[in-house]
Amino acid sequence: MQHHNATLDRTFFALSDPTRRGILERLSGGSATIGELAARFGLTLNGVKKHVGVLEEVDLVTTAKVGRSRECQLGPAELVDVTAWIESYRQTLEGRLERFGAYVEARTDGDR
Amino acid sequence: MTHELRFERLIDAEREVVFDSFTDPDGQAAFYGQDQTGWIVRSECDLRVGGVWTVEFGASQAELYRHRHVFEVIDRPRRLLLTTTETRLDGSSFDTELEIVFQEQDGKTLMTMVTRGFPTAELRDEQGVGLPNAFDLLDRFVHARPEMSQAKSDDS
Repeated sequence: MQHHNATLDRTFFALSDPTRRGILERLSGGSATIGELAARFGLTLNGVKKHVGVLEEVDLVTTAKVGRSRECQLGPAELVDVTAWIESYRQTLEGRLERFGAYVEARTDGDR
Repeated sequence: MTHELRFERLIDAEREVVFDSFTDPDGQAAFYGQDQTGWIVRSECDLRVGGVWTVEFGASQAELYRHRHVFEVIDRPRRLLLTTTETRLDGSSFDTELEIVFQEQDGKTLMTMVTRGFPTAELRDEQGVGLPNAFDLLDRFVHARPEMSQAKSDDS
């Protein structure tokens, strides 16, 4: 739970928007141009560029100019931090449940 | 699909006892406790729908985490649903939803705990929408990238 940093916060922020999650889902099926994403999500080109910019900042997405359009694909984001954070969170909760279970069992044993 | 975090514990006690323990001060102290000497747990619980349960816990007075739960559903002895704001040492916070289900199983109780969503404070302020799920997306993202899948299969 103590494992966090600015990049992690920005990554979670980038993931917090439904449109940005939609864009990542779309890109997990293959690359797409800004124009294709705009059409798919009913957004303006500038709207898509803004979202892609947030994703690009934390390396969830990379873009490259291909001919006259800009192509987007999944980026090399270091999700190690994100997964480590989730793992540490998971262990904390697992520990709480185990401790609580042991407490209840110790208490009811005493009652018998 | 990793849509949420789910935990189970079969507890050798009757369902009512497990449920009531979770909503009483000693049980709550156990839930947030640690073996560490001097570990602090302070819990105040207003057990009613819309009621607030606040918990402060940590290694010392100077290092306290704070959880503020609001009871959304209280269905004794079957189910509890809470929305939680967790405040970290640096003052930042995030929200989760916590669902706890108590099921009878051969005289014992299967306690299932599910937590969903990791929205940021920014999200709350900007969008005011419900709790999104980062887990399923992360899962798909990780699997969609060849080098991550490769790393996974190397592990196994």
